[in-house]
Amino acid sequence: MFRRPESRLAGLVAALVLALAGCAAAAGPATVAPAVAADGTHRIDLAFADGAVSGGPARYAVAVGSPVEVVVASDVADEVHLHGYDRSSFVTAGATTTLRFVADVPGVFEIELEQRGARLAQLEVS
Amino acid sequence: MLVAGPANSGVAPQCCTVLAHGIGTRSDLPVPVGLAAAAAAATLVISFAVLAVLWRSPRRRGTGRPLPAGLAAVLDAAPLRLGLQLLTLAAAVAVVTVGLAGPPDPARNLAPWAFYVTFWVGIVPASLLLGPVWRVLNPLRLLHRAVAAMLRIDPGAGVRELPEKIGYWPAAVSLAVFGWFELAFPARAQPVSVAVFLLAYAGVHLAAATVFGRRWFDRGDGFEVYSVLVGALAPLGRRAGDGRLVLRNPLDGLAAVPLAPGLVGVVVALLGATAYDGLSRTQLWNALVPPGLATGTGGLLLAFVLVGVVFGLGTFTVASTRPSAAGGAGGPVAFAPTLAPIAAGYAIAHYFSLLVFDGQQVGILASDPLGTGADLLGTAGRTIDYTVVGTTTIALVQLGGIVLGHLVAAASAHDQAYRLFPRRVALRTQYPMLAAMVTLTIGAVGLVFAA
Repeated sequence: MFRRPESRLAGLVAALVLALAGCAAAAGPATVAPAVAADGTHRIDLAFADGAVSGGPARYAVAVGSPVEVVVASDVADEVHLHGYDRSSFVTAGATTTLRFVADVPGVFEIELEQRGARLAQLEVS
Repeated sequence: MLVAGPANSGVAPQCCTVLAHGIGTRSDLPVPVGLAAAAAAATLVISFAVLAVLWRSPRRRGTGRPLPAGLAAVLDAAPLRLGLQLLTLAAAVAVVTVGLAGPPDPARNLAPWAFYVTFWVGIVPASLLLGPVWRVLNPLRLLHRAVAAMLRIDPGAGVRELPEKIGYWPAAVSLAVFGWFELAFPARAQPVSVAVFLLAYAGVHLAAATVFGRRWFDRGDGFEVYSVLVGALAPLGRRAGDGRLVLRNPLDGLAAVPLAPGLVGVVVALLGATAYDGLSRTQLWNALVPPGLATGTGGLLLAFVLVGVVFGLGTFTVASTRPSAAGGAGGPVAFAPTLAPIAAGYAIAHYFSLLVFDGQQVGILASDPLGTGADLLGTAGRTIDYTVVGTTTIALVQLGGIVLGHLVAAASAHDQAYRLFPRRVALRTQYPMLAAMVTLTIGAVGLVFAA
């Protein structure tokens, strides 16, 4: 059956497509849908302690046009920065800070502690 | 990633950090699953169609249709070319100066944006439309003429002859080093880093060209070779005999790329770097791999190896088959140009939105290049307009570029096989080559799907 080159090619390609489909299906952690408050605001809570964000950097998904609130609790002083939207806010050690905005630009945006370069989360707006 | 924002946002920005993948304020959304599946299906259909439907004997290489004499004369005019070279040199000097003397914050300094977005990404659409533009614009050639004149060395011949077997290897190394600098080096977004890289690159290549003559740029300058490879796909080209500007078939352009050792290395470097850029944006990679110099370098090397292995497997029958055509430089290197369309498709898929959005930042920052509060172009207060193109358009352009690149690549490989080998053998060499291309293309679709 696998003598003829055509069927060899077909077999190889089929195996390949299956493998890639499998990889894509397992394409990584699923996105997280943040909790929605009564007024429709999507709230993302992040806690930064001991040099990393708890639970690891996740990707939060919201719909375009949603009001979003990102609340960051940090044990160090730094600047929380949301790229693309270019929102930032300083946080002091042991305190929290909040970014409030409307997610009107689609795409995937990084939220990080600017000075440390520590990734806090990704925001996926679609 | 860099920050996009008004130059006078009022928040004193700290030293800008750079995240795992390259430069930019935003990443693309993963393409919808339906579109991705359609693209993958189209890739397979194209591959089988190429095998079944395309010509079964060597295609006669076309000579192209000459441009109207007036237009060709204008485009070929030496003053125009010199003027463009001088403008490019001035722009390069400006970028280096702003990089060294401008604001240290990448959010306010146009150097990294001009280098990574306007130049590195912009070279692709410019070359696809107009041919090997960087060969015309390369400011290093102008500087080389000046240096050679000062040292009284013949710019054409240099001091020593460049051995043939060096081939394109210096270009491959240049591109690999640039890829590492762009994707793995921690301080890659810093304006001073960009300026120093440009100066070092210029220094190395000027020195080499002074020794070996201007032929060094044809083989050794990575950016020129990139522009030549992508420019081979342009409708505009030069006729072989008299160098006349013609409108021509991209397949003829690819067949005319001069072959030399190292061309495979160039293609592997290009595909590997773009593939790693996409890979480092996927959720899976970001979850598993902490950002850093070691992991970045490792990931890039892994991408080079994967692409190299795929290409090697694709050409293993070619390597073991003797070419028949007279002067047929067979072997895998003859099929390296056929990957150029796939490299162009990869570049379009990964960088289209970067060019459209973050490319605006250069125009915004150019109003206040040295951070003095000026507003030279009237754009100083603007921010990037993210509404110029929608996400569906972006997804369609990404997948369209990938699939179209596959179509042209498959046709080109088919064309090359029939030119080099007798009919029965040619068909046999096509199977692994097509499988390799399908792998690379579906891999590209997977990368934009898993983003």
